[in-house]
Amino acid sequence: MGSLDSYLPIFVLFVLALAFAGLSVLASRLLAPRRPTAAKEAPYECGIVPTYEPAQRFPVRFYVVAMIYVIFDIEIVFLFPWAVVYGQLGRFGLVEIVVFAASVFFSLLYLLSTGSLDWGPVKRVRPLAGRLERTTASTVRRHGATGTGDEGSGRAA
Amino acid sequence: MIGLESLRGLQGALLGAGGIVLPHIDYTAILPELILLGGMLLLLVVAALSPRRLATEFYATATVGIGIASLVASLVLWKDVVSHGPFTAVAKSLDIDGFAVLFLVLVSCVLIVAPMLAVGYLRREGIEGCEYYVLALISGSGAMFMASANDLVLVFLALEVLSLPLYVLAGFDRRRAASSEAAIKYFVLGAFSSAIFVYGIALTYGATGSTNLGQIAAFLARNVLTSNGVLLGGVALLLCGFAFKIAAVPFHMWSPDVYQGAPTPATGFMAALAKAGGFAALLRVFVTSFPTLRSSWQPVIWVVAILTLVLGASFAVVQRDIKRMLAYSSINHAGFILLGLQAATAQGVAASLYYLFIYAFLVLGSFAVVTLVAGRGDDQHDLSRYRGLARRQPVLAGSFTVLLIAQAGAPFTTGFFSKLYVLQAAVAAHSYALAAVAMGSAAIATFFYLRVVFLMYSGSAPVEAGVSPELVEPGAASLAAPALAMAAPSGQALASGLVAAGGAGVEPAWAKRSGGGSGASGEGDGAEPPGEATTGVPETPLSSSPWTVAGLGICVGATVLFGIWPEPIIEFARLATTIF
Amino acid sequence: MIHAAFLIPLLPLAGFAILAPFGRRLGNPLAGWVATALVAASFVVTVIVFVGLFQQAPAHRELTQSWFTWLGADRLSVDAGILVDPLSMTMAAFVTGVSSLIHLYSIGYMEHDEQFPKFFTYLNLFVFAMLMLVLADNFLLSFLGWEGVGVCSYFLIAFWFDRDEAASAGKKAMIFNRIGDAGFLIGMFLIFERTGSLQYTTVFARLGHVGTPSLVAIALLLFLGAVGKSAQIPLFPWLADAMAGPTPVSALIHAATMVTAGVYLMCRINPLLHLAPDAAHVIAWFGAATAFVGASAACAQNDIKKVLAYSTVSQLGYMFLAAGSGAYVAAIFLMLTHAFYKALLFLAAGSVIHAMDEDQDIKHMGGLARLMPVTSLTFLVAWFAIGGVPPFAGFWSKGDVLENAWAVTPALWVVGAASAVLTAYYIGREFFLVFLGERRWSEARPSGDGHGGHGPVAAQAVAGGPPALRRRPQDPSWHMSAPLVVLAVLSVFGGFINLPFHPSFVFLERWLDPVVGPALRRLHYSVGQEWLFGVVDGVIALTGVAVAASLWRRAVDRPAFEPRFLSAAWFLDLAEDRIVARTGTALATFTASVIESRIVDGAVNGVASLVRLFADWARRAQNGYVRGYALGIAGGVVAVVAYLLVRVVQ
Repeated sequence: MGSLDSYLPIFVLFVLALAFAGLSVLASRLLAPRRPTAAKEAPYECGIVPTYEPAQRFPVRFYVVAMIYVIFDIEIVFLFPWAVVYGQLGRFGLVEIVVFAASVFFSLLYLLSTGSLDWGPVKRVRPLAGRLERTTASTVRRHGATGTGDEGSGRAA
Repeated sequence: MIGLESLRGLQGALLGAGGIVLPHIDYTAILPELILLGGMLLLLVVAALSPRRLATEFYATATVGIGIASLVASLVLWKDVVSHGPFTAVAKSLDIDGFAVLFLVLVSCVLIVAPMLAVGYLRREGIEGCEYYVLALISGSGAMFMASANDLVLVFLALEVLSLPLYVLAGFDRRRAASSEAAIKYFVLGAFSSAIFVYGIALTYGATGSTNLGQIAAFLARNVLTSNGVLLGGVALLLCGFAFKIAAVPFHMWSPDVYQGAPTPATGFMAALAKAGGFAALLRVFVTSFPTLRSSWQPVIWVVAILTLVLGASFAVVQRDIKRMLAYSSINHAGFILLGLQAATAQGVAASLYYLFIYAFLVLGSFAVVTLVAGRGDDQHDLSRYRGLARRQPVLAGSFTVLLIAQAGAPFTTGFFSKLYVLQAAVAAHSYALAAVAMGSAAIATFFYLRVVFLMYSGSAPVEAGVSPELVEPGAASLAAPALAMAAPSGQALASGLVAAGGAGVEPAWAKRSGGGSGASGEGDGAEPPGEATTGVPETPLSSSPWTVAGLGICVGATVLFGIWPEPIIEFARLATTIF
Repeated sequence: MIHAAFLIPLLPLAGFAILAPFGRRLGNPLAGWVATALVAASFVVTVIVFVGLFQQAPAHRELTQSWFTWLGADRLSVDAGILVDPLSMTMAAFVTGVSSLIHLYSIGYMEHDEQFPKFFTYLNLFVFAMLMLVLADNFLLSFLGWEGVGVCSYFLIAFWFDRDEAASAGKKAMIFNRIGDAGFLIGMFLIFERTGSLQYTTVFARLGHVGTPSLVAIALLLFLGAVGKSAQIPLFPWLADAMAGPTPVSALIHAATMVTAGVYLMCRINPLLHLAPDAAHVIAWFGAATAFVGASAACAQNDIKKVLAYSTVSQLGYMFLAAGSGAYVAAIFLMLTHAFYKALLFLAAGSVIHAMDEDQDIKHMGGLARLMPVTSLTFLVAWFAIGGVPPFAGFWSKGDVLENAWAVTPALWVVGAASAVLTAYYIGREFFLVFLGERRWSEARPSGDGHGGHGPVAAQAVAGGPPALRRRPQDPSWHMSAPLVVLAVLSVFGGFINLPFHPSFVFLERWLDPVVGPALRRLHYSVGQEWLFGVVDGVIALTGVAVAASLWRRAVDRPAFEPRFLSAAWFLDLAEDRIVARTGTALATFTASVIESRIVDGAVNGVASLVRLFADWARRAQNGYVRGYALGIAGGVVAVVAYLLVRVVQ
């Protein structure tokens, strides 16, 4: 197992990390006194007493925006090192990065055309794939502060 | 400040190492992929900028055009490889050889046929837009890269490029919960297997010091590793990653649920493409990089192949849902293709290539038929839908019959030769037990294929629970007779004939079971369609879309033509292997 | 010119491809004309290729045209290709020529049939298959044509499948042929096993390395194939029953072309027979026996077509006698002349049947000569031709065969000569009963009593004499009589292609020499002996004619000369039915009721339920939960990794 020797420290570290995590949980379980009250059990909301359950669903738009954000993040991740060694890369680097940026730009165009960055009431330039037939059965009822569910359909963002 | 400094340090390090070596990029070598990706971007831009909604036929035409262009580019590349021999490109990360080009051609063909078969569906379900085609093109380029990748890192990237659009395609029909469920299952398990795969790459790199397939092979040829635990661990994990992609047992469990839930044309596309891509990389990595470890991985493949063959065929027998049945049948096919890998000979690889090539057409065509029969809403997949199909839609039923008996391996279809060649390869490699098991599984498989044929050609009245075997309609018996006769001369003659004959006897028992309600078919927890709610949906006539007619015609035509005249594709596969 | 040879089979195939989907739309008679035109075009191409081949030096009269590799597996490589040589071109020329005439004739004959286009579709397919058979350059492709003609023959015999006898005759032909085909197949396997090829030229070149027992086995197996296809003892009963098909079919398939396929095969494998003389002897004796049995059976038939059917059996026997004696040229010569006069006999018979309102019983006819001059005159010519009256075609060809038989052993000659007497006699009997003597039919009464129409009326004859005809018998229209005249001319002069008087007259022999030359039996008769043979042959023929005239000029019934065992063809059919078919049926019933339903079905159902039980049990793992699936994957990974690591430790 000669070639495995060099991995021994990693393995030891792995075991130690596992042991530490396990011991911590175990120690708190053993050492801490457990006297639960209603106030202790309640979720922490900046010191305000919660009046209703937190919303379980967010509009999907948040996710879309988050993903778009990640895409551009990644573009930046690529642009930084490229910019640093731009001199050596020369024309080759320019071509490659333009191709890359263009691809990202085209996808941005697409996202714009589907209305992914529009806020407020939905006004789609182009309908999305699929027939969005909403019925009372398919619509997710969202509960307002009073729990009567009058905020309209899930379509409104 | 610190960030900038560290970057400077990096720059210094790079310069100290002699500057950046710029790879020469041979654009002609990756022209088919570039055509797909460029075409895909173009479609996307056109879709984004066009002021009015474009018909799905427009996108389909464009996709078929792109597919034809990449087919032409692939054939040019083929000529190049044949005349000048294989070469590596882009800093040796791509290996352009006959093997790769065969897959380029195959993927191009799939991309020509698949859009044709999707148009009718998208129109029927009212799914507008370019997304389906764009995703298909991206996925296709991934499959192409998988076939030509000469570097494990690139294999992984290609695998992801292939898979991610497929996850989306699986969930493409957003109105159906089953579709979303399929996408989520596929995605979660796919990510899981990708992780395993990447870990395999890491271990392999650790053991050999390279991710380049050629260099790994060279390293292993040079050095005899006395204790190669890390390497074998890596090989094992790579194998598991691939086995997931090709749905080999026990990494297959996602596939019935996903095949069932995904929109039917997407299922066909997925089955054709993912299997082709997965096997392309699997064959290349194991046959070119790890031939020295053959004695280690061959037994694993042996066991996996046997499990895949037997479980795929057996589970298919008990399905009521045609898509699940076809899913298990595709698992069974994967087992057959594994025979070629297990043999680990040029003959075996050629047989696997041939199998993959013709299987793509079979599965695309089969799912196209299923799409039509399912009718609007795409959730009527019970086998009982096929009863009397021949009377209602004779051409459609005839096409399906051809595709099914081809999958069963009847002569005068491509399916016969594909099974014959992998079995020959297995026998030539002295894997007699494996070949015997494969033939046994083919006999079992014949049963469930022919059962659908029986159903299609039997009367339209449903068989009641208590009917005795003798009372199966004479029409069914007489129509099945030619099918039996056709099956007779094949290798599995006796067995298939007997099982098929037994099928008539087993049928009523089967019908009785179906009376038991959802319990008979419900194995995917949420993926079962609510059988009774939408039974009134009529099936779509074949004539409703000329696109479907053309696509199905290509699939059936290729199946029959190359079944009678198998030489060109066999020759193609053999050449592809010899200049491997 | 020679390179146009690929068109020869393709034109009829094109006809089939057009007629199969569009035949109904083309309708009657256009479909028939299309079919006829394409076959005629094929004939023209054949003539062109023939001339082209003729212009080559004799040594270069062989050309293989390979289109593509049809099948390739390991050592087996079979091309789809054709072999153009004197033998195949002779066959092609006569197949397309006779077929063209019969196509033309059929337009008239079938004009009232509802299935007119379908008939021509089958005919074209048949011609294509037959041409593939004779042109193929390897055994397998020939076998494809061989099976193709078998299938077409089945379709055409059972063309009027709503008649019981036609349907069962079709099946009978199929089954008898299958027996022969099995021989062909096994022979082919053996050839491949011994020589590693199926291509004619390659196989023949490698025969030197094959042991004599294998050669004899191969020759006899292929002969078994020929026995089935060419209706030799003991597989001939199907041919008599095949007369239930339309008369042009009987003429084309069951007299002129398809049944000669076996003879063609024997001639094609002449290098093989040359090296296996024992097998050749067997073939010769089978041929002689068939010639005699067929001829004697023909003497006692009452159905106009059955006489001709047994006559065909007998003539085919002569051909095998010739092939078995090493006289391949004589075999082909007889095949050609036989095609002319037998097709003529059938077509003339067809005209008669048409005129007699589909009645085929010769005892119901008589006195037609005056009313049907063309038909009766051409029939007379055919009679003299088949009987071997000099200088008609049959005299030369049959004489050739008998000379060669004598050279093998005089015993064969005796059997052949006896059959020759019978041949001249039975056609004479038919001629007298049909065309001369008193009229045993009546014309229609104005009321029309519902008789006529379909079906042979032999059964009715027993009940109450022949039915009344709807109209007066007369010669058929021009496209039915034109082929009669053409064939009659050929029957008279057809013998001149191979005259024995001088070496420069034996055109056929010199033409076929490149193919059969090395294996050919060379005769060394003096001129006097040749003349003696000629005189004896002539006397034999005239004896038959004279006997027929004396016996049947006036009489209608002579039970002494129509014994039961002859009209039943020596009870061979009955014996085969009793011994083989009944036993086989009993065995099949036993296997179906006991072995199949109990043992086999039990095993199959058992396996099926085992599979189902197993799958039902194992599918519980497929619970639909992703976590379960992930567990499966993880389990698989652990198993694979563990296995490989354990191997390392070991």
